[in-house]
Amino acid sequence: MVSRVLGWIDQRFPLTPFIKHELTDYPTPRNLSYWWNFGFLAGFVLVLQIATGIFLAMYYKPDVNLAFDSVQHIMRDINYGWLLRYIHSTGASAFFVVIYVHMARTLYYASYHKPRELMWWTGQVLMLLIMATAFMGYLLPWGQMSYWGAQVITNLFGVTPFIGDKVVLWLRGDFAVGDATLTRFFALHYLFPFLICAVVVIHLVALHTVKSSNPSGISLADKDNIPFHPYFTIKDFFGLGLYLIIFCTFVFFVPGTFIEAANNIPANPLVTPPHIAPEWYFLPFYAILRAIPDMLGGVVAMALSVLIFAILPFADRTSIPGGAHYRPVYRAMFYLFIVDVLVLGYVGSQPPTGFVVPLGQVSTFIYFATFFLLPFISKWEERWMRARGLPPELMALFEKRPPRAKWPRKGEAK
Amino acid sequence: MTDSNVLDNADRRDFLGKATAAVGAAGVAAACWPFISSMNPSTDTLEKATTEVDLSTIPEGQMQTVAWGGKPVFVVHRTPAQIAAMKDSQGGHDPQVDAERAKDPQWLVVVGVCTHMGCIPSKNEDGWLCPCHGSVYDNSGRILHGPAPKNLAVPPVKFVSAEKIIIGEA
Amino acid sequence: MKRWCVFALCWLACNAWAETETALNKVEVATDLPTLERGAETVMTVCVGCHSLKYIRFHELAKLGMAKDKVDTWRGSNTMGTAISSQMPADAALASFGKAPPDLSLMAKARVGEADYLYSYLLGYYTTPEGATGNHYFPATKMPDVLAVAGVTDPAQRAQLEQKAREVTSFLAWAADPRAQERQTLGYYVIGYLLILTTMLYFLKRRIWAKLDKA
Repeated sequence: MVSRVLGWIDQRFPLTPFIKHELTDYPTPRNLSYWWNFGFLAGFVLVLQIATGIFLAMYYKPDVNLAFDSVQHIMRDINYGWLLRYIHSTGASAFFVVIYVHMARTLYYASYHKPRELMWWTGQVLMLLIMATAFMGYLLPWGQMSYWGAQVITNLFGVTPFIGDKVVLWLRGDFAVGDATLTRFFALHYLFPFLICAVVVIHLVALHTVKSSNPSGISLADKDNIPFHPYFTIKDFFGLGLYLIIFCTFVFFVPGTFIEAANNIPANPLVTPPHIAPEWYFLPFYAILRAIPDMLGGVVAMALSVLIFAILPFADRTSIPGGAHYRPVYRAMFYLFIVDVLVLGYVGSQPPTGFVVPLGQVSTFIYFATFFLLPFISKWEERWMRARGLPPELMALFEKRPPRAKWPRKGEAK
Repeated sequence: MTDSNVLDNADRRDFLGKATAAVGAAGVAAACWPFISSMNPSTDTLEKATTEVDLSTIPEGQMQTVAWGGKPVFVVHRTPAQIAAMKDSQGGHDPQVDAERAKDPQWLVVVGVCTHMGCIPSKNEDGWLCPCHGSVYDNSGRILHGPAPKNLAVPPVKFVSAEKIIIGEA
Repeated sequence: MKRWCVFALCWLACNAWAETETALNKVEVATDLPTLERGAETVMTVCVGCHSLKYIRFHELAKLGMAKDKVDTWRGSNTMGTAISSQMPADAALASFGKAPPDLSLMAKARVGEADYLYSYLLGYYTTPEGATGNHYFPATKMPDVLAVAGVTDPAQRAQLEQKAREVTSFLAWAADPRAQERQTLGYYVIGYLLILTTMLYFLKRRIWAKLDKA
């Protein structure tokens, strides 16, 4: 019966061929580790956020006089409202855990190299969209931290030369964060996840063009690819099960972990909470912002700290594949970078006094130094590794193909 | 997605695969329930399911319309003549005794929504006339003639005192 | 491994940093009905004199299981659907204290330390050398020493006050999160289900992948 219906559809729409080609029979490297589960997990979190968000939006009121009360109404009176809310608030943090691990995997294995540069850049667009969505979503409960976080961050746009004040006014729709700001943030917070969905489709189309990287960093022979179904469907579901156990532990037992105490107080434009801090996932960037004493410098540094990832396909000048798998110096840089980001996170969570200040400045320096030194270190490392002697599987690779093409220098023929 | 890829060895019944799929499907179904349930009326909406009416403000022969659960309810202070007229009849094509509809014959409380298409009937001497399609109700809210199939609905009513009723509580 | 160590150290450092002032006294929040009822009694007779609980309706108290006659006494002529409001009008409060006493519905969550903070605050009143009353945990507070804690040294009396503070804290913790019990019960079922499903998925994964090397 099902096959008859599918047959009817297939005559008019490439449903079965599409599913076979892109999902069921799709060739996937057999050696993918569990670090490759996180893309699927990110997609799952996105779907769950949209689902809970839509049902929350049935009761949430984007008006400064009603917003906080409507959230309490959801928590106390709506059937399972508390569950929808906690899934959504925990899910926002979970989203960042998942995509940060997903990015770390890409950095570790240097999967941003050719031919996957577009995957890296679409991924970066996705990260920017998710950050914007999270920032706008955080204002919606209209708590003290919501209000003051939005006030501080929208203020930063005032550093725009010449038109700074006008930009801030335009962004907020008012002289301070207010009803106009809240309503437009709600409208955009509802919209952005669908933009994210569209960019995810582009990200996946790019993926299916170049196929997944793998932990060895070397393109596998066809015989070492296996069909996505059943091997990776079951592996993704198993990974999802593990993820859900951790996720549900937070949702059902410690849901307040990601809700700041101050956000249980309705927003008061006349009283600032003792420390204003963004949610944990923005802390490293917040630390970089504060590390530069000049406001314009701080904003530029913060923007750069997010955008600088885009240069990696060019900054990493090695032709040795596999990232940290084969390259010991790159591996050390990776771990140093991770530790540095964690230190920046700590710095961002603390009031900017005492030893925290120089710690933040040193960590910011290391952060950017990693990117700026990478072109030189990667080239030196390759020379050093070749001099030492490459492992046999890499030697085999280089025998087959010439070294990576360099950009033609002035005067040279192409 | 068909099962044939999972059942690599067609000879063996893939119990684990089928069982896991069943357990997973049950979980997905259960996970849908909070979303569906959240759209039902909330607890505070359900708490507001009663309306209090002060009867002392309604003179004999008059009717007051109050809101109950978002619908209009007619509270009629019936005259002895009206009560007598209603006592002996059974109504029209939805027969019902008046005593069943008004525990205290002096007060008739009916939902003011025509059982045909939902318009609000207009009060007259002998009962109600629905302006939309001409249904005629008597002074007990029973349908006499017209397209409406049933009598005007009688909500649960509790007499807290001679002067006060709660609509929505029995 | 290195990464986890550093992260753990950072987390510990964060927590250590948080407690720079007087250490909080820990309280074990009660969830049983008798304690909550006693806490409600104190809150409704003492605290509601100045504070409101605008997100709690009298219906909620009845649903929790509190005695109907008690709830009726507390609500007076208000209907069951009315929210708990303070008995002091806003302008009188402003005149007496300089600012309106905050609503208590979420107080158990709105302060760092949550229930421990509330408990410590209520018991944290002391008499200054000048004879005034101060509070160790919120020196700038305008709230008077409602439990008459300052200056009490007798251990039996002290224990009674601690019990009362615990009851009030427990009731306010309930008020801040009335669905906590339901949430945790459902949580046990959900995690239990997920453990079973994930175990089944694990064995199914192993079985499917075992076929790979045989093929």
